[in-house]
Amino acid sequence: MADKTIPIFVPSEKPVKLAKWKIKQGTVVTQGQVLFLYKDLAGDGEELKKFKSSHAGTVSSIKVKEGDVVEPSSAVADLEECRHPTVMMEMCAECGADLRSEETKKLDVAIVPMVHSVPELKVSEELAQKLGKEDAERLLKDRKLVLLVDLDQTLVHTTNDNIPPNLKGVLHFFLRGPGGPGRWCHTRLRPRTQEFLESAAKNYELHICTFGARQYAHAVAELLDPEKKYFSHRILSRDECFDPRTKAANLKALFPCGDNMVCIIDDREDVWRHAANLIHVRPYSFFQSTGDINAPPPIEEKPKLTIGKNGTQPQVQEMPTLDAEPDENLEKPANNFEKPTEGSNGKVIKEVMEEKPVDIKEGNEKIEEVELPPAEPVWTETSDGQIEVEDPDDYLIYLEDILKRIHKHFYDVYDKMGQKQIPDLKIVIPEVKSEVLTGTSLVFSGLVPTHQKLETSRAYLVARSLGAEVTQDFTDKTTHLVAVRAGTAKVNTSRRITEKKSSKLHVVTPDWLWSCAERWERVEEKLYTLQRGGQSSCRRPPAHCSSPPPPPAPVAALRRRTPSGRFMDTINPLLSFSSDDIADMDREVEDIFNESDESSTDDEKPSQDDVDDEENLKEDQLIRIDEESTQDRLQETQDSSNESENDEEQPRPRKRPRKSTPPSDEEPPDDDDSSWNLMGAALEREFLAQD
Amino acid sequence: MFYHISLEHEILLHPKYFGPQLLETVKQKLYTDVEGTCTGKYGFVIAVTQIDNIGAGLIQHGQGFVMYPVKYKAVVFRPFKGEVLDGIVTQVNKVGMFAQIGPLKCFISHHSIPDYMEFCPNVNPPCYKSKQEDSVIQEEDVIRLKIVGTRVDASGIFAIGTLIGDYLGLVPQ
Repeated sequence: MADKTIPIFVPSEKPVKLAKWKIKQGTVVTQGQVLFLYKDLAGDGEELKKFKSSHAGTVSSIKVKEGDVVEPSSAVADLEECRHPTVMMEMCAECGADLRSEETKKLDVAIVPMVHSVPELKVSEELAQKLGKEDAERLLKDRKLVLLVDLDQTLVHTTNDNIPPNLKGVLHFFLRGPGGPGRWCHTRLRPRTQEFLESAAKNYELHICTFGARQYAHAVAELLDPEKKYFSHRILSRDECFDPRTKAANLKALFPCGDNMVCIIDDREDVWRHAANLIHVRPYSFFQSTGDINAPPPIEEKPKLTIGKNGTQPQVQEMPTLDAEPDENLEKPANNFEKPTEGSNGKVIKEVMEEKPVDIKEGNEKIEEVELPPAEPVWTETSDGQIEVEDPDDYLIYLEDILKRIHKHFYDVYDKMGQKQIPDLKIVIPEVKSEVLTGTSLVFSGLVPTHQKLETSRAYLVARSLGAEVTQDFTDKTTHLVAVRAGTAKVNTSRRITEKKSSKLHVVTPDWLWSCAERWERVEEKLYTLQRGGQSSCRRPPAHCSSPPPPPAPVAALRRRTPSGRFMDTINPLLSFSSDDIADMDREVEDIFNESDESSTDDEKPSQDDVDDEENLKEDQLIRIDEESTQDRLQETQDSSNESENDEEQPRPRKRPRKSTPPSDEEPPDDDDSSWNLMGAALEREFLAQD
Repeated sequence: MFYHISLEHEILLHPKYFGPQLLETVKQKLYTDVEGTCTGKYGFVIAVTQIDNIGAGLIQHGQGFVMYPVKYKAVVFRPFKGEVLDGIVTQVNKVGMFAQIGPLKCFISHHSIPDYMEFCPNVNPPCYKSKQEDSVIQEEDVIRLKIVGTRVDASGIFAIGTLIGDYLGLVPQ
């Protein structure tokens, strides 16, 4: 924006004598401030008059000396108008001008909210760049990096449920809701959080980036860091997020000079749009009945999911799921579990009770877990009436180590580059990660379904991101065989190879790979040796096994799926359609539903999701909701009319007990098994209710 | 600036309060209703000092509530442009600092802080420091500032201040 300089003229038709300047060159003046005193030569010539500034700004030059006579046509001074580089609540923070009432609307000048907790305070792009640059220089000087820390399920786990009051290591605080009665929050810090923060603060400038409400974020920050030495005021909460579903949008504002030096730890990849500088941490879960109480609304994940981790079963997302409502989801876990009870099915209700032991069993009783997965906290009561919790979660140790390695690598590269350029963490972090399994060559057995290409499988992507080579079959270089169960052809071959060759070929379970991905280090293979006759249940990677964003499903396949087969439709069919067309489509979709449910939705989905356009997304969602509701209705009618078809519909029986945490929060987003299961349960209930 | 002025307020009371304590309740309700509120014209109502007159209560048609017009005197705090005030620093960041002047929140931009003061983000808590380190402004410090603008809206008043000017800045304790 160009500087706007206004010359100041004498407010008179006749020449005047300038008596006294009230300001100096370079003074910042506000509107209405007296600039100089003058005498009107035409009048009695004695009375001193004040000249007030009509604008706010800086006096750039004074052209007339005191005592001079000024002609009306010549300017006495130049005033450089205030450019309002800092704006607070639509008021310029430099000159105090009210930007709401000002005739020339200049609200677009200052647009970047640079301070985490005060979204009303905005600065101009130019100033933001300057401040951002200063920040970056300071960080480099201190040899630090920026670390954005998520709270829920990364460093803490919070529940709103009633829990026994005498749990050790659980902190309680009360949040007063706006207008409402407020709620109690019970927060458990992840083991070793304090040590972790202390160690990380040496190498990183820590920021909190959470989807919790501002009040909650500040309360938890107070718990984590009472002296404000780690986070200070650098707390970004949901109230300050531009977009309710992603945190990535705020990065640009907080770091106007780019996110080269920003590292992120979060238990969810999607909220950061699978950024390369994200370390995907293992979600911390302490209260079994609660997921992430501040999880973002799940709507947007659907398109992401259907783009498909591997494109195997995109239709899953089309089916009505038991996902919680996308609105205020504080009560979300509860909702998720209440829904099954509506089926008036005694069995289901019993299950619910078992799953929420904390809620149901009162006070001081010893709490037994119904089913205890490994690495979940064990609750035992000690003699003094306190409930001691043995929490085997040790993830922060590894995370601390990962962060140290990244920091070292970054500054190694920085020094090598001659301190002229700043390396990019989006490149450095994947580099560090790819060193983990460098030099290894893996062969998978039973890990990738036969109908799926190796290159598109999640395990492959995980292994590649760790720097391992993956081959379809044994080569001379093969070092590891990752096998789900013993007795496959490849396992047998491996045994022969080991006998032949002197070099050791490790035969490990997929857990080995997942552990490597979790800890970013080559885990000792002996811990994960495949047992003879043993079978590992862990074909699917755990949620936190971070991988680069999956490649989009091959376009060719998509084209074949689109009903019309036109290329246009693969981009976005909605772009070129009028509302009538869309109505037609709706009818068509319903017709297709009547014929066969699954295939039709399959056709629609992937093509829509390819486009990442916000506007279209809305339309997409609208239509999707429509589809879902139609499908709901259809299913109901089908259930009542045709039982055999219903049997076909039912995907498959539930293989494993539902986890105690709601799937939308806890489960990996691509875990279609669980949504199948939930769906299966829902159908089962409906089916039983008919009887 | 503080003023002691006469104000009026209408108290709406539920019939359940009709009894010997009625006028006492009216007074209590006045205190809770107006103290701590803020209007654009008069600023913050700090305290009700005296109740001059409680008018005749008027029973509302159809609901039984009674309405009393009350005249009272109160101390109000109305910030003005150009006024110099003392405040307590609440937050310091790279863009500037926030201060609290009683009920009034105020922001002072980096540019309105004298040039010789520099932002130091590395110390805890962050502060603005002069080069000779003889003057440090950090959280909880008392500063004297001049108001350059006010934003009045329904919920309150917000002010923009400056530390540039004679005798402005840190107030030695």
